[in-house]
Amino acid sequence: MNEFDDNEIAKLLRLKRHEQPPPGYFENFLHEFHRRQRDELLRQPLWRICLERAQDFMFRLNVPALTSYPAAVAAVLICAAVISLRVYETPAPTNLAAQARPAFTAPVNVEGEWTLASPVATRVTAQPIRKSNESAYTHSRNGGTPPRYVLDSVPVSYETAFKF
Amino acid sequence: MDQSRTDEDQQLVARTQSGDAGAFDQLVVKYTPRLYGLVYNMTSNHEDTNDLLQDVFAKAYKAIRGFRGKSSFYTWIHSIAVNMTLNFLKKRGRRFHLSLDDVDASIQNDKEFLELTATSSPVREADLAELQRRLNEAMMKLSDEHRAVVTMFHIQGMPHAEISKILRVSEGTVRSRLFYANRQLQNYLDEFRKNPVA
Repeated sequence: MNEFDDNEIAKLLRLKRHEQPPPGYFENFLHEFHRRQRDELLRQPLWRICLERAQDFMFRLNVPALTSYPAAVAAVLICAAVISLRVYETPAPTNLAAQARPAFTAPVNVEGEWTLASPVATRVTAQPIRKSNESAYTHSRNGGTPPRYVLDSVPVSYETAFKF
Repeated sequence: MDQSRTDEDQQLVARTQSGDAGAFDQLVVKYTPRLYGLVYNMTSNHEDTNDLLQDVFAKAYKAIRGFRGKSSFYTWIHSIAVNMTLNFLKKRGRRFHLSLDDVDASIQNDKEFLELTATSSPVREADLAELQRRLNEAMMKLSDEHRAVVTMFHIQGMPHAEISKILRVSEGTVRSRLFYANRQLQNYLDEFRKNPVA
């Protein structure tokens, strides 16, 4: 008895092409496809249907291609606005105060010598200015060191004293 | 591949993408018989085939917006069908029942049928219908991947290159699977010939 060879198996398999579905199957397949599509559509929530319709609309308009140009223009405009704001921004007043301080303290004679270059009004001591967060007491409260009074060489007022 | 078929498919795809649902209907009508043969010979069950085919076309309709034409529509729709059928078969496991469809009357005029029954061969010794039933059983004993290759090559008549594109494997893998599947089928059918009542 012969055995099945590759050729005969191939021929047998090709005969399976003649196996067909029930008559009318292919004619009804499209109707069935439409019916299932409608059923699936009805089962979906309203928001999903709206979303899909919107996506369809966007796809038909080819929105991604249309949005690329305006998006680029908008980005350029925003950058230009930010840059222009920085350019016309006025400097802060605190900076001016910080810059003025050295001009005020420069003529101070640290050694306390009297010179014509240093006007009386600008002759201040080289002691550091008391900061706001320091205590208002001028001498130590522990009592170890006696208080020391310093007479200021700057007159309190330039007004002429009354003479009787 | 037939260039006119590809061009026609491209036009139908473009019309579908621009919102013409009727164009997709034409694609469904065109590809249903061919895909039916593919899916049916992988599942051996008409009801499963019908459900799968409906799902295949529904998925294709949803995904056709993203189809950029890197492959032909023919390859694309076959890839969807094969992958969905393989996934279905993995879920179904080895549970199946054959629902052999009616053999079309045109088989009587088929040249290969006449050759098989006219010449001296083991086919003539056995009842052809019984042999076809055994062949279906033998097909279902193959692994899903081997059955897919056998179906596409022997039954659908696709070239190796087309099968490799659909399955996204090399042509060597296709040939290797085909060789192994042929040996398996040969063994099953020889066993049937030696023990016809088994």
